[in-house]
Amino acid sequence: MSWRLLLGGWWLSLALPAWSEVLVIEAALDHDVAAPLLRAFEQAHPGIELDYRDSSTLEVDSRIVADDPPDVVISSAMPWQMARTNEGYASRLESAEARAWPEWAKWREEVFGFTFEPIVIAYRLDLARHMTPPATHADLHALLTEERERLRGRVTTYSPAESGIGYSLFQQDARYSTRFWDLVAAMGNAEAVLEGNTRDMLEGISEGRYWLGYNLLGSYAMVWAQEHPEVIVQVPQDYALVMMRMAFIHRDAPHPAAARQFLDFLLSREGQRVIAGETPLFSVRPDVIGPYTAQRLRDQVGDRLYPIPLNASLLAFVDPQRRAAFMQRWRREFERR
Amino acid sequence: MRLLVVEDDPLIARSLEQALTPLGNTVEAFTRHADASAALRHDRFDLVLLDLGLPDGDGLALLGELRERGDTTPVLILTARDGIDDRVRGLDLGADDYLAKPFSLVELEARVRALLRRSQQRIDNRLRLGALCFDSVAGLAYLNDTALELPRRELALIEGLLLHAGNIAPREMLERRLFGFGEVGPNALEVYISRLRKRLQGSGLRIRTFRGLGYRLEEAEA
Amino acid sequence: MIVVDGTLKTRLALWLLATVASLGLLLLVEAYLSATRAAERAYDSQLEAAALTIAEAVQWQDGQPLVEIPLAALQIIATRHQERVFYAVLDARGEPLSANLDLAIEKRWRDAAAERPSWHDADHRGQPWRLHGREFDSAGWETQDPVQIWVGHTLAGRRSLSGELFEHAVTRFLAMVLVAGLLMFLAMRVALAPMRRLRHQLRRRAADDMRPLDARVPRELQELAETLDNLFARQRNSRDALLRYTADASHQLKTPLAGLQSASELALKSEDPNAWRRALGEVHDGAARTSRLANQLLSLARLRHVADASRLAPVDLGALLRETLLEWADRDLAGAHDLGLAPLPARPVLVPGEPWALRELLGNLIDNALRYTPPGSEITLGLNDEEESVELYIEDDGPGVEPSRLARLHQPFERGGRQDTEGSGLGLAIVDSIARRHGAEWRVENRTPHGLRITLRFRRLPGASVA
Repeated sequence: MSWRLLLGGWWLSLALPAWSEVLVIEAALDHDVAAPLLRAFEQAHPGIELDYRDSSTLEVDSRIVADDPPDVVISSAMPWQMARTNEGYASRLESAEARAWPEWAKWREEVFGFTFEPIVIAYRLDLARHMTPPATHADLHALLTEERERLRGRVTTYSPAESGIGYSLFQQDARYSTRFWDLVAAMGNAEAVLEGNTRDMLEGISEGRYWLGYNLLGSYAMVWAQEHPEVIVQVPQDYALVMMRMAFIHRDAPHPAAARQFLDFLLSREGQRVIAGETPLFSVRPDVIGPYTAQRLRDQVGDRLYPIPLNASLLAFVDPQRRAAFMQRWRREFERR
Repeated sequence: MRLLVVEDDPLIARSLEQALTPLGNTVEAFTRHADASAALRHDRFDLVLLDLGLPDGDGLALLGELRERGDTTPVLILTARDGIDDRVRGLDLGADDYLAKPFSLVELEARVRALLRRSQQRIDNRLRLGALCFDSVAGLAYLNDTALELPRRELALIEGLLLHAGNIAPREMLERRLFGFGEVGPNALEVYISRLRKRLQGSGLRIRTFRGLGYRLEEAEA
Repeated sequence: MIVVDGTLKTRLALWLLATVASLGLLLLVEAYLSATRAAERAYDSQLEAAALTIAEAVQWQDGQPLVEIPLAALQIIATRHQERVFYAVLDARGEPLSANLDLAIEKRWRDAAAERPSWHDADHRGQPWRLHGREFDSAGWETQDPVQIWVGHTLAGRRSLSGELFEHAVTRFLAMVLVAGLLMFLAMRVALAPMRRLRHQLRRRAADDMRPLDARVPRELQELAETLDNLFARQRNSRDALLRYTADASHQLKTPLAGLQSASELALKSEDPNAWRRALGEVHDGAARTSRLANQLLSLARLRHVADASRLAPVDLGALLRETLLEWADRDLAGAHDLGLAPLPARPVLVPGEPWALRELLGNLIDNALRYTPPGSEITLGLNDEEESVELYIEDDGPGVEPSRLARLHQPFERGGRQDTEGSGLGLAIVDSIARRHGAEWRVENRTPHGLRITLRFRRLPGASVA
């Protein structure tokens, strides 16, 4: 899927045709969600034309090593982004914005986490009529165990095999509690349906196929819930994972200067303000005010937010043996009955 | 003979004039370097008596100038400076003799005579003292204008003595002249001297012996 | 001549600077190496810890080694400098069981790691890496094949740490140099203070002040101060001698001048032309004597007070003697004497000397002999050539000198008890000066039956040939 964005820039491209540069962005981020950000960038940099291609995390990852690399790579599959960076596919961003970016949200000043998206539980109002909706992971486990018959086939979550995000989230869950495997077993017992992305899960809930969804991207779910009142979004009260979209400039970027400008924009106060105000992606910067900011989220949820750490430990998640072992255990637990 | 005296002290200049004029010379005295220099450029002199300390310049400069022009007029330097360097420099520049002040007039007259004789010989190739004369071109000696029939060694002896007439002819010089560089007995030269003494008897000339040094042909005092 | 050749302070400072600079260079090199070593050690031990952590995670399943890479290990490898991370778990055949980069581990490295934990520097995609490998024997149920664990990272942290350590070392060193420089400056001031005091004292001294110094000096300056004292003493002596000499000379000049004055006065009073003539003769003689005296005084003064005696060069004494004697024999003064030269040695006689001074010496000896002997006396000069020295002598058959006066003859104005000659009494004093200048000994003795003999013994130069 590819949109060529010329929004409001047609007259500029007529006025400055020769200067116009096409910046290729390969992103695992819905175009609809990113559109305000892209628009704001094009307004600020009329000479640069954006070729924004959104696709799945695994596709994005394969594009990185393709023969005609993109300029900028954005993906929510944090371990894969980290692995590519470690392999040297990212080029360092030397700028004031990059230097000022919080340490916990960047690595080697090559790859930057520029959003702050909580991972949530979503349920259908129907569920609340029959049982107490879960507010914590323990609640969820108890509910799945106690209401197994009623929830059979009505629970959905990520497929760790098909979705990089899903896999990462489960890995992270497993780190925090060994009882996570009980939860997996409980979901298996409830014959939970595994989906490839958050949108499909949300659609299922809206259509009534599912009553309960686990580990959804809060950014999408919150927007969805605004338009679909039958969907309730719950940020887990014991701990909530936080996922960051990671962006880097490709080592072999055909337009490195434009790519640097784009990344600088993502990290800038201006770019983050758009993220906080016009997208549900949540801004990382503490000096930005808007409905979607990490600061605001913290104020609402408290200190139980656990961002997936952006460091070398992510590399372990893409280790084939570790992945194989994890998937093996997942299957074992999920299919336990 | 024309003599040029360059001397700024009037007393000395006058005594020089008075001492040298009676010897048959014309003496012209200058007190300044510039005048003397001009005179030397226009006229020919037979001898220059040059004082080194002049009010308007250095006598050595005048001498240098003269020799630079190729003028070989004999120069006798008179000076109160006894610095050995000046003496050497003067002789290097081509002065013919050197006399330090104060000097006795007798000494001066002797030196002037010797220089004039040498100057004269440069002109006519004849060596002469009193009645004795030697023609170095013809190789003949004359006494009272009569040619002397003499063996080669006696002629060589006469020439040697006349070359130093009035001064001591060093013994080594005479021996080399007569006998070459071979070994000679101590009395060989004395034999020829006594022969010559006999020939000169009554000529107004005599040969005086200086022990170990040499012989001087001189006019017998009246 | 005084040539100002820098200052002691600059010289000391330069030496100090050179010392500090070379020492500093060594220190800095050492600091750099030790900083690098320290950083290497610190980061190598991180790699070691990471390898051990991974080793802990190795398990055996169905005879196959299985490793779940621990998250902590990766963070340890990355360090706080966020290095790029490499890890690999190799089986016994060297095949990777698990690896995150296609960084090839060479066979010889694997062999080395099999022996003991090993360290290597590698290059991967144009970047330098540090690798660590070690082997673990896994206690599986079926097999005991060992596995090798390799970890590695890029070098930013090491460089940053060694740079930081080196920077600290340089800062400490510079501070030390600064303090040392300050202390040395103070030390130099204190150490050079006695010199400054001495300089002030010398500068304040009056020109004719020749008293010994009155100063406190350190031992190093003692020699200089003593030399200065010595110099003052010599100047004092020399000045006194000069004053005495000048007084003597004036006295000596006054005598003939008084004679001139009285003779001319008498002549002026007289009407008799014969008296005039006699007086003129006396005046002439007096003038001649006076001018000769003046000449000799000048020679003596020059000999005694010219400090820079020109360097002595080889002189053929025989040739010089003949030449000088020829000149003197030709003079009027010698006309009445029998002045002669004894046969000279066959070989040239070389002595170290100054030709002009030796000519002066001979002239005075001859002049003396002519003046102190009656007309017709026989005066003979000659050389006795000996092995290491040469004897120059002059002898006459005159009256000789009263034995009691022989020893005093070299003193100025000493006429050997004779007032009947034109001599000034300076001749032998001049001879004495020149002889001393040449390091020659001389002696005077009476001859029998009568006459005087003066002998000078010169050091002979080896070698007979002279150019």
